[in-house]
Amino acid sequence: MSPTPFTEETLGVRDTPVRVLFGGKGEPLLFLHGAGAAGVWLPVHERLAEHFRVIAPLCPGFGGTPRPEWLDRTTDLTFHHADLLGALGLAQARVLGVSIGGWMAADLAATYPDRVSRLVLVGASGLSIPEAPIPDIFALPMEAVLPLLFEDLSTALALLPGSMDQDFVEAQLRERATMAHLAWNPHFHDPKLRRRLARVTAPTLLLWGEKDRFTPVAHGKAYERLIPGARLEVIPGCGHVPPVERTDEFCAAVVPFLKG
Amino acid sequence: MKFYFFHLMPWPHLPDDFDEKYTSSWVTLPNEIYKPELGVGLYNRYLDELEYADQLGFDGICVNEHHQNAYGTMPSPNIMAAALVRRTRNAKIAILGNGLPLRGNPLRVAEEIAMLDVMSNGRIISGFVRGIGAEYFSLNLDPTESRDRFHEAHDLIIRAWTEPGPFAFDGKFYKYKYVNLWPRPIQKPHPPVWLPSMGSLETIQWAAERRYPFCSVFTPVDNIKRMFGQYREHCDRLGYTPHPEQLGFAAGPYVAETDAKAREEIEEHVMWFFKKSFKMPLEFLMPPGYTTEASLRTMMAQGFKHPGEMSFDELEKVGMVMYGSPKTVIDKLKDRYRELGGFGFIIAGTAGNTPHWKTVKSMELLATEVMPVLRKEFPT
Repeated sequence: MSPTPFTEETLGVRDTPVRVLFGGKGEPLLFLHGAGAAGVWLPVHERLAEHFRVIAPLCPGFGGTPRPEWLDRTTDLTFHHADLLGALGLAQARVLGVSIGGWMAADLAATYPDRVSRLVLVGASGLSIPEAPIPDIFALPMEAVLPLLFEDLSTALALLPGSMDQDFVEAQLRERATMAHLAWNPHFHDPKLRRRLARVTAPTLLLWGEKDRFTPVAHGKAYERLIPGARLEVIPGCGHVPPVERTDEFCAAVVPFLKG
Repeated sequence: MKFYFFHLMPWPHLPDDFDEKYTSSWVTLPNEIYKPELGVGLYNRYLDELEYADQLGFDGICVNEHHQNAYGTMPSPNIMAAALVRRTRNAKIAILGNGLPLRGNPLRVAEEIAMLDVMSNGRIISGFVRGIGAEYFSLNLDPTESRDRFHEAHDLIIRAWTEPGPFAFDGKFYKYKYVNLWPRPIQKPHPPVWLPSMGSLETIQWAAERRYPFCSVFTPVDNIKRMFGQYREHCDRLGYTPHPEQLGFAAGPYVAETDAKAREEIEEHVMWFFKKSFKMPLEFLMPPGYTTEASLRTMMAQGFKHPGEMSFDELEKVGMVMYGSPKTVIDKLKDRYRELGGFGFIIAGTAGNTPHWKTVKSMELLATEVMPVLRKEFPT
């Protein structure tokens, strides 16, 4: 099967230029990436683009883009993503978020319930679960962080470029600084989110890797308790990033749900 | 030339298996290693040494701020300065410095320095620092805001010291309806501000713009030379010639009767200092966003080497260690003076776990045999 073609466009979202990757046709699906996956058209995007019009924006401050002056909290991105939907002329979309993108998606769905028709959170951060704390990745070297994220380390290679040149290293450092600004304190969560999740009206699927060592399954269970009607599915033997590590199983669970 | 004596107040009692068992003496080193019963004697010994520096005629004595570590047990330098104010007579008390972004409420720094300035009748030098990367882990502060908070807190403190209150301050991070400092500092326009720094170009230029003395710590002489050059160039651009006392050199010389004796006595303590008390992973030293992208590019291009990876000879060769007989130390300082294009003050100190008797001996030789010669040769 030939790869699904994608196009790339830079949109002005208020005063912020945003690179967006588009692929496929059909109902719009806003795909919010996690760290390390900004601006990369992955196999999972191709698969989803067979069923939906996939809209994959680069989050400002990620993927080597400069961090805008207005960006301090995940909540700032909620307004940004609502504005992005507006710039795309979309009153509503299916929204899927991975890792820190899952946190953004959850906050968007809680703040603007009417803008999100269906919600998928994958290994989402955003909550504090004292029994299953999110490890302090800022204190760890990359070689110690990757095994926290991937059960099958070889799949992480999909996210890495052919050569680790200076540009790549600088983009990584800049993204790490954005992550720190958003998630240093409170550590990868917003204490306000817990209560607000009751506002989510979208049917919600929570997808977690059983071996997620960054946001352990306990985080998925908490989201399941807090979002009305949400359903948690756990992929056995999978790490923090099922769309990369187990693309087939991931799509098998997500596509029927998103089609509703 | 002026002479300052600096104390870090380290915790010298690290366990024998420290090297194998612990990756850091900062942030995560278990605090059960700190024994308050031993701390009693240690704090008093360290304060005695600083007081003795005043009696020996040093121009100033220095304390600083670090958190949750064995390298320096002074989370609040202002408390140490307060202890010293009443027990010293002549020396300036240089707080090098208060970590401005580390304070939730920086007006407290303005207040405490003003108190100390009045209590000491104007003997306070107020250093401002950001705190090293590890501090942002220990106090759980967003390192990406460090620089902006530093600048804003600085502006607030200077205004609080110099402008009639009450006035309102509306910053990005700090907002006050009533800035109205009681007491006000006695030195006019305000206590001297110093900038001890790792020496990014932005910081150097910022210091030069404000005529703040700059001194670089734990930096190879080649780098100091570059930094002094950048400072002087920027002064040039601003249209003034810096006063010699705007540049300082943290020489940290150890003085003994002979060169051989000096080396024999100090080597293990210097190595303890760099290899043990400064041990930390790169992640602690440089958390995300703490260092500007420009500085990171420079570091990547030059290749960064943790001083703990260097041998004693290498450390000496790059100029991060100085020792010798009084004559040798005089010669070395004169060489450095020429090499660096001059400096107005040097900072001496005691390295790591150096015991009391060695600390005192070196201080005495410095005060009686080195200082008089250099003061005469480089009058201030």
